[in-house]
Amino acid sequence: MSKNAQMALGYKKKRPFNAVSVPAEIVINIVMTLFCAACVIPFIFVVIISFTAEESIRQIGYSFTPVSWGVEAYKYIMKLGDQLWLSYFNSFFITIVGTILSVLICVLYSYALFRRDFKYRSFFSFFSFFTMLFGGGLVPTYMVCKQMLGLSDNYAALIVPLLVNPFNIIVMRTFFQSSVPEELIEAAAIDGSGEYNTLFRIIVPIAKPGIATIALLNALAYWNEWFIALLYVRERAKIPLQYLLMQMQRNVEYLAKNSANMGADAVAAASKLPTQSLRMALVVLIVVPIAFAYPFFQRYIIAGLTIGSVKG
Amino acid sequence: MSRVSVAKKANTTVSARRKKTFMLLTMVAPGAIWLILLRYLPMFGIVMAFQDYKIYTKAPSLINNIMNSNFVGIKNFKFLFMTKDSWVMIRNTLGYNTVFIILGLLISVTFAVILNEVTKKFVAKTYQTLMFFPYFLSWVVASYFVQAFLDPTNGLLTHAMQTWGMQPIDFYNSTKPWPYILTIAYIWKSTGYSVVLYLAAITGIDATQYEAASIDGASKLQQVFYVTLPHLKTMIIILFILAVGKIFNADFGLFYQVPMSSGPLMPVTQVIDTYVYRAMIATQNYSMTTAAGLLQNVVGFICIMVANSIVSKFDKDSSLF
Amino acid sequence: MKKKLLSLVLCIAMSATMLAGCGSTGSTETATESTETTETAEAPAAEETTEAPAEAATLDTSTPVTLKWYLHGSTVNDDKAVMAKVNEYLGEKLNVTLEPIWGTWGDFDEGSTLAINGGDDVDIYFTCSWSADEYNSFAKKGAWVRLDDPETNLLANYGSDIWNITPEVLKTGAEIEGSDGYGVYALPGFKDFGTQNTWDINVTLLEKYGYTLDDIRNTDYYGFGDILKTVKEGEGADFYPLLVEGAVLERMVDNSIIVNGDAGSLNVLSYYIDPTDVSKDLGSKIVNKFATEEYKKFVEQTREYYLAGYIDPGCANKQTANDLRTATQLDGKYLIGTQSYALGYEVQASAERGIDVAFVPCTPPYVDKTSTQGAMMAISTASKNPERAMAFLNLLNTDPYLMTLLEYGVEGTHYNLNDDGLVVFTKEHDNYQPWRNGMGNVTLLPPQEGEGKDFFTKVFIPYYEGAKAIPAFGYQFDPTSVETELATLANVGEQYALALSVGSVDPATALPEFLDKLEAAGMSKVVDEANVQLDAYFANEQ
Repeated sequence: MSKNAQMALGYKKKRPFNAVSVPAEIVINIVMTLFCAACVIPFIFVVIISFTAEESIRQIGYSFTPVSWGVEAYKYIMKLGDQLWLSYFNSFFITIVGTILSVLICVLYSYALFRRDFKYRSFFSFFSFFTMLFGGGLVPTYMVCKQMLGLSDNYAALIVPLLVNPFNIIVMRTFFQSSVPEELIEAAAIDGSGEYNTLFRIIVPIAKPGIATIALLNALAYWNEWFIALLYVRERAKIPLQYLLMQMQRNVEYLAKNSANMGADAVAAASKLPTQSLRMALVVLIVVPIAFAYPFFQRYIIAGLTIGSVKG
Repeated sequence: MSRVSVAKKANTTVSARRKKTFMLLTMVAPGAIWLILLRYLPMFGIVMAFQDYKIYTKAPSLINNIMNSNFVGIKNFKFLFMTKDSWVMIRNTLGYNTVFIILGLLISVTFAVILNEVTKKFVAKTYQTLMFFPYFLSWVVASYFVQAFLDPTNGLLTHAMQTWGMQPIDFYNSTKPWPYILTIAYIWKSTGYSVVLYLAAITGIDATQYEAASIDGASKLQQVFYVTLPHLKTMIIILFILAVGKIFNADFGLFYQVPMSSGPLMPVTQVIDTYVYRAMIATQNYSMTTAAGLLQNVVGFICIMVANSIVSKFDKDSSLF
Repeated sequence: MKKKLLSLVLCIAMSATMLAGCGSTGSTETATESTETTETAEAPAAEETTEAPAEAATLDTSTPVTLKWYLHGSTVNDDKAVMAKVNEYLGEKLNVTLEPIWGTWGDFDEGSTLAINGGDDVDIYFTCSWSADEYNSFAKKGAWVRLDDPETNLLANYGSDIWNITPEVLKTGAEIEGSDGYGVYALPGFKDFGTQNTWDINVTLLEKYGYTLDDIRNTDYYGFGDILKTVKEGEGADFYPLLVEGAVLERMVDNSIIVNGDAGSLNVLSYYIDPTDVSKDLGSKIVNKFATEEYKKFVEQTREYYLAGYIDPGCANKQTANDLRTATQLDGKYLIGTQSYALGYEVQASAERGIDVAFVPCTPPYVDKTSTQGAMMAISTASKNPERAMAFLNLLNTDPYLMTLLEYGVEGTHYNLNDDGLVVFTKEHDNYQPWRNGMGNVTLLPPQEGEGKDFFTKVFIPYYEGAKAIPAFGYQFDPTSVETELATLANVGEQYALALSVGSVDPATALPEFLDKLEAAGMSKVVDEANVQLDAYFANEQ
């Protein structure tokens, strides 16, 4: 660890206790930067294409340096008017409510599974795991949800189908296993703390990073979901953003593929769409809000990261 | 101790135990009810895999349809094993998934561990956020990005090869590069997701353990091997077992969209899921899809049970159930 | 291990009891439903047979009924104004309240098939030969009510007005083998039901190099070489004169026909038509079209064109070929393209592309069974009021007021009529745009501005009614017994067909490989089966 290297990197402050050596950290930074560049460049590319004029795409294809710029795609989307904002609201609403509920159910379920002294522990583990592999398939699930549970044209139809994810339950249980010492629960029990009290007062604060991770995964799942809306929601006032935009994209693609069967008016409609830039503009509108929400969850995931700092 | 007091104590512990069990049952209840309604209830549909599914015209409803459809045995499974190409798709599915599981595990654990060593929190956060971006992009969008590089006329790579005086490769027509392209695409898209899981597990480690190790003179590398990895062990094993269960299910978008469903590439891109999809378009036979899905999951189930029983022999805590 | 076994057993037992439980409740529920339906369904039919066997039954409109109607391809954000008027009218006429489900291009396929398979209470579905709720296969599955069922005969009883004015080809085209025998399972819409494959010619560019349209007309695909060469040399290496859709090109060059019922993307089966007289009987025999000499000649020529740089390699990319095609057309950067023709398209194409576009037909317009099934309305077997549904379809397709209201919206709100009586849309039309061909009898509508006053009577109807039916027109392939083979064949076809048809692979190696794999996947079995059915069809015809 040479002083020069430290100077070169501009580390003026003392490095934290038990930190990795400076050359090692340089290597880490290079690897990470390269990988992250690979991850983010495609997105930048998507943004560029979304602002590219359609003629430019026709001439030179997708390019980082288009011949001419344009906002046709966004103009086309803005035609949706109020529906767009309504759908943004719907998306936020179902994401927030859905995430809270699903995290709650997941934490409760997986906490019980984490408890070694739970009599039916292995039964309920298997009970949730089994559904990861076997399900009734699309048609029976559709029938049960729509006709028996009444999940049709309401917010519940957009929230309930994603409430439980066995994968998340298993992962959450593992988080408990790796971060919660069992003596803690025993101690709490001896102190006369009730089960729910123990869970929410003692265990949850310790398992925060894990819970934040599960919350993140759930929030992403809710935000990205459109197929469920396709299945269960026909009322336009209730459709979420992702589906509104997906619908647009799917219409464009379907028209392009089948226009031969549809007659002249449909062909005309197909050729007028800003197809290529539109596709990318839709991605931008979907990704940006959730990407901004990301740091919120990250606060908890990275919280205890830096090794040197002693938790207070 | 008198007999009476022993009995009394036993009584209270029994009732305490009962109460505890009851409380824990109330915790699993919401999830379990959901699973019963939305997962177990529709499972009667599995029967369709063995049926020639018809609509019961007198009173159509899913249940009536199923009750009045004829059983055809394993006929719906046959299309999976008709030709020599079946071997190709099974080989591809298993081969790619094996590589994905091993490589994915190594890379994401490594990334999580080294990300943990970045001293500036802000920088680590930035890395982690950026890493997650591919997860937001669908395979369709990713496929356009890949095409921007590989396109035979406008592709960036094609142009570059021309300027360097090389013979450009006709990517969508040559099978050789695709195993690499697909693997890179998979790692690119999935790493951010698994890194988060591992990172959260690492964050849960008590910092004092590292301090203790450090004071004992453990090097950074030794700390990784003696503190971090043992803590990650359970998470690694669990994710591994779950991945093994999906070894016969391929990521449809990766194998269909990214190679632009190009015909000449099918020897290296055809997997079970793409095969079933293409067959489905041709026949619109819902029973055949159900059958294929069932078969994939039965095999996956067997794999998981085997993997899990091996794990639980050595390490009961890390097993699934 | 024991515990795990136990839990597994428990799981299975649980789902079994649930299955039993829900099965029994479900069946009792539907049992009562079914008695209800049979009562209502049989009551008028019984009257008909006992009281007035020869005449059409009168419709019982004493009870109000709601009809759910699943449409395709709509862009409808707000239908309140229209539906208020429609329901007022329908309430008077039929005591019906209409509830349309405005399926869009993107969601119709999943939405409709799930609704049908899951038994949703929808009365009328759009169906056709190319959507996911495909007419033939769902008729076989039992999704549609047979409209000319001898017992109920909805068509004769409640739909005679429209059925009497439906062209004969459409009637024959609608006859298929379904769950209740051979008959009509959906009402075909009067739309552009003819097929005509044409060369899409960039006349502006053609004339720049001293050629005329006659140079195209007087030769064929195999004779395009010189023209393509001259233009390619003149326009430079980045210019690809031939803009093709692989599957369409093959059909145009070889005059092969899509065999109805051979669904999916592959269309392995075919027979041939005479390009000068499409209805002439060539002694039709169904063949594996990829194994014919014609196909071999075609792929070899295409390969030559491809290697000479006449065909953009992008045409071989299934996912983006359409984007590429549209983009290239709009830029006018092509010389000869392929186009499945729609009447009046040259005017529109020329305007859009800023060049002079002409379409040179390969054959006169012809009618095949697939194109007559291009847009239909089927009554679901789940419908509790099939009579009222039929009566509604009858009214919709014969009543210009209702048709215009449902298709164009409210006059003064969604559209206005100009001095010639032509339709001019308002801004409000953006919120209410059902798909015209997907609605029904388009000839009832007032023409739109730009189409001309007598568009339907003088242009549209004569063109399509003049289209001749191909030989063995009524024949329909029933794939049920060879579904396993078709599933495998579809995969083999995906691997080779497109690449061969645009020339991106070398036929010398790929074609024999393709044929071997087709054979291994059971091609002969499918062809034999199709021919057995064709022979049976001819025997039946005589």
